[in-house]
Amino acid sequence: MQQTNRLRPFFENITFERDDNELVLNFGPQHPSAHGQLRLMLHLQQEQIVKAHPDVGYLHRGMEKMAENMIYNEFMPTTDRMDYIASSSNNYGFALAVERLIGLEVPRRAKVIRMLLLEINRLMSHLFWLATTALDIGAMTIFLYAFREREYLMDIIEDYCGARLTHAAIRIGGVPLDLPDNFIPDLKAFLDKLPQNIKDYEDLLDTNRIWLMRMENVGVIPTEMALSWGCTGPMLRASGVAWDIRKEEPYGLYDEVEFAVPVSDKGDNYARYKLYMAEMRESAKILYQCIDKYEETVKNNQTELMAHAPQYISAPKLDIMTQNYSLMQHFVLVTQGMRPPVGEVYVATESPKGELGFFINSQGGPYPYRLKLRAPSFWHTGILTDLLPGHYIPDVVSIIGTTNIVFGEVDR
Amino acid sequence: MAQHQVNYLKDGGLPVALTSIDKVVNWGRSNSIWALTYGLACCGIEMMASGASRYDFDRFGTIFRASPRQADVMIVAGTLTKKHAEFIRRLYDQMTEPKWVISMGSCANTGGMFNTYATVQGVDRVIPVDLYLPGCAPRPESLQYAVMLLQKKIRSEKAIKAQKPKRLM
Amino acid sequence: MRPYTPKDDVQKKSYYTDRYWVAPQVPKSDVSEDAVFAADHAALRAHFEILEDYIQRGQMVIYIHPKDNYAVLEFLRDHCGYTQLSELSAIDWIAQRGGFEVFYQMLSMTKKKRIRVKCFIGEHEAINSVEKLFRSADWSEREMYDMFGIKVNNHPFMKRILMPDDWEGFPLRKTYPLQGDEFAAWYEVDRIFGKEARDIIGPEIRDTARVDRYDTERFAQLGHEVPKGSTFDPNQPKTPLAYQEEGGVFLIEGFDETKSKIISDRKR
Repeated sequence: MQQTNRLRPFFENITFERDDNELVLNFGPQHPSAHGQLRLMLHLQQEQIVKAHPDVGYLHRGMEKMAENMIYNEFMPTTDRMDYIASSSNNYGFALAVERLIGLEVPRRAKVIRMLLLEINRLMSHLFWLATTALDIGAMTIFLYAFREREYLMDIIEDYCGARLTHAAIRIGGVPLDLPDNFIPDLKAFLDKLPQNIKDYEDLLDTNRIWLMRMENVGVIPTEMALSWGCTGPMLRASGVAWDIRKEEPYGLYDEVEFAVPVSDKGDNYARYKLYMAEMRESAKILYQCIDKYEETVKNNQTELMAHAPQYISAPKLDIMTQNYSLMQHFVLVTQGMRPPVGEVYVATESPKGELGFFINSQGGPYPYRLKLRAPSFWHTGILTDLLPGHYIPDVVSIIGTTNIVFGEVDR
Repeated sequence: MAQHQVNYLKDGGLPVALTSIDKVVNWGRSNSIWALTYGLACCGIEMMASGASRYDFDRFGTIFRASPRQADVMIVAGTLTKKHAEFIRRLYDQMTEPKWVISMGSCANTGGMFNTYATVQGVDRVIPVDLYLPGCAPRPESLQYAVMLLQKKIRSEKAIKAQKPKRLM
Repeated sequence: MRPYTPKDDVQKKSYYTDRYWVAPQVPKSDVSEDAVFAADHAALRAHFEILEDYIQRGQMVIYIHPKDNYAVLEFLRDHCGYTQLSELSAIDWIAQRGGFEVFYQMLSMTKKKRIRVKCFIGEHEAINSVEKLFRSADWSEREMYDMFGIKVNNHPFMKRILMPDDWEGFPLRKTYPLQGDEFAAWYEVDRIFGKEARDIIGPEIRDTARVDRYDTERFAQLGHEVPKGSTFDPNQPKTPLAYQEEGGVFLIEGFDETKSKIISDRKR
C-alpha cells in the first residue's frame, strides 16, 4: 500500500541463533523503557547477558558544531536541549564557564536566584527519574504521583521564566529577571508538602517485594569500575565515593549553605534509588536556605541582577533606553557578540546527573573556537558495556532506569 | 491556566440512535486514538507529561502503546536525526492502516533550531505527516488540541474507502 | 569577481573585526604558585619531558609529547592521585598548525585538583589509546575518532559512535560545514528510498528565515486550511477554529465555555 522503499530486514547480516547457543537481542533504538534512543545489542546465553554493546548517537544533533558557529549568548537556548529534564543546570554550567573565562563576578541576588533554579531543577529531575524508573518497573502509581509533584514545580518555574521545559532562565553574567511575587510563597508551600510526598513514595516502594527484587543487588557497580568509567553524581556516590562538586569545589553560594552529601557503599540499584530520595530531601533543605538568602538580599536592597561589565554584558534595559553609550554597547553585543579573552577554561558543575563540564577554547573571537560538553550521561551509558554482562534481561530495564541517562546529553 | 469543571455524565447515552456506517466507524476511530510512544527528545517529556496525572490523556481515549502494531497515530516528539531516520520509516511501515502522524515540535516539523548536518529537516521528508504542531517544546495542552484536531480530521474522512497510498510528503 | 572564501575553515566568522584590536589573554600563572601543582609537576618532570606548563583559571595545563601520553597518564593515576579521566577530546588546528591538539582532562578527588594534559599530533598521525588505564576513554576515543578522524592505536573497538557507520566526513573538523556536505544532505533519502527518489523529495530547506504565507506545500495558515499544494485565496472566509464540527459529535459533549467554572487558584 505504501510507496515502496528500500528498507530491508535490518539484521540480514547478523546471525541471531548461533551454534554456541548465543542469541543476539536488539533493544531499541525506539524502546519505551530505554529512556530515549538507546540501542543495545545484547548477546544472550538463555536469559543471561554475556555481552552488551550500547549503540548511541541516535539523538546526535551537532551541538558542539553549533557552538562553533554561534555567539556565546546565542548558544544558551541550545544548552537547554541537552539535559532537557533539568534545563537550568545546563544553562548554569555554560554561563559559569563563560563567566570564569572572562573573569566575571555575578551579583549576589543573581547567585541566589540561580541556586533556587538549580535546586528546583534537581528536584524536577529526580522526581522525573523516580516516575520513569518506577513506570519501567511497573509501579504506575508512583509515576502518577511523581508527575503530580513535578507539575507543581513546573508551574513555579513557568511563573519565573515562562517555559515549562526549556527554561533558558540564566544569562551570562546573571539572571534576566527578578523572582515574581508569588514565587517564594508557592515554593514554600510546595516544600512544606514535599517531605510527606517523599515519605509516600518510600512507603510504597521501600519494602515493596517486587521493587526490592528488581533493585537489591542488581546492577552493582564496584568503586574501581565507577572511577574508571568516569562516573559522577549519584552513580559514583552510590558506589562509595563521597564526591559532590557542590561540596568539594563550591561554585555559586554552595559554600554558604548547609547540606549533607548522601553516600552509599552498596553500589546497587537500590542504593541509587535511596540516594535520589535522600538528595531530594537535601535539595529541599538547600532551597529553604536559599529562600532566606533571597529575603536577605531584599532586605539589604541588593537589586542588581546582571554583572556590570560593559565590554561583555549589556547594560540594564533602562540604561539602554536612556543612555546613548549603553545603547551602542548593546547593539554591538547583540549583533557581533562578546569577545572573551584568548584562553581555555574547563568548568565542572554538579548537574542532577553528575559532573556537567564545559570546556571552552576561545581565540578572542565572538564564536568559541572549540566547545566540548562533558555530559555525565555519556559515561553512564558507556558503563552498561561492563555492567550488564551477568545480568538477566529484566534487570536491563531497571539498570538503565537507575543510571538516569538522558539522551539529549549523551549524544549532544 | 483555567480548570474547567465539565459534567461528563449529563446529556450522554441515548438508548437508540440512527446513524451511518461512516459516522459510527469514525466515531469509534476518533475516540480511541492509540498513540505510539515516539518520544525522541525534549518533546517526548511533554508527551509523557500529557499522559500523566495532571493532563490525563486517557480521557481522550488516547493511550500510549509501545508497539507500532497496536497504534493508530504516531506522535513524533522530538528531533529526528539522520541516524534515526530509517527506524522511524520502519516503524511507520509496521503500523496498521488506518494510521496518522502528528509531528510534534519544531524539530520534527522543520528541523527547528538544529540546523545542522545531523538532523533531518522535518520528518515529512521521511514519512507523511497529518498534523504539524508548533512549539519548542509544545505544552501538553497544545498536544491535546492537536489530537482533537486530528479527531476532527478523522471524522471528516470516509471510513471505508480504498486506501490510496499517501504521498510521502 | 567572486570573493575568495577560505576552504580550510568554513565555520562562521565575525562580519566585522577591528584591525587594531588586540584580544586580551586569560591570565596564566607559573606552576610554582600552587604547591600541589608544583609537587605534581616536579614528580612528572623527573620522568617525562614537559614542553610547556602553566596554571590557567585554577587548573594546571601541561604539554607533553604525544608518544608519552599513556605513560604520563599512568604516572598521574598511580603516583599523583589523578584517578579520574573526566574528559578527552581534541581541538582542530589543521589550518593553522597542521594537526590536532588532544587534551586529557583529569581529576584528583583526594587533592581536589584538576589538570589538563595536552599533546599535539599531526593530521595523519595516530595516538595511543589510554583505554587500558581508564575505561571512560573507550567511548571518548571513539567519539574523538568519529568527530575528528583521529586514529587511536590499540583501541579495542575503533568504530564511529555518534554518527552512523557509513557516514562520510568528520563533522567537528573546521573544513566540515555546519549544515553538512552533499552526502549529509541526502543521507536519509538515499538510505530509505534510494538515490532516484531525490528528485521527488527535493532538497532540504535550510533557510530558517524563509516565510511564504501562500506556500501550501509546507504549512497551512490557521483559519485558511486548504488541501496540500492547492492555491490559497485570502479572500475566502475563515474556517472556524473549533475542534468540533458545527452540529456537535455523536455522544461527545462539546466544550461550552459559559457553563464551565474557572478556578482562579491552582490550589497547590
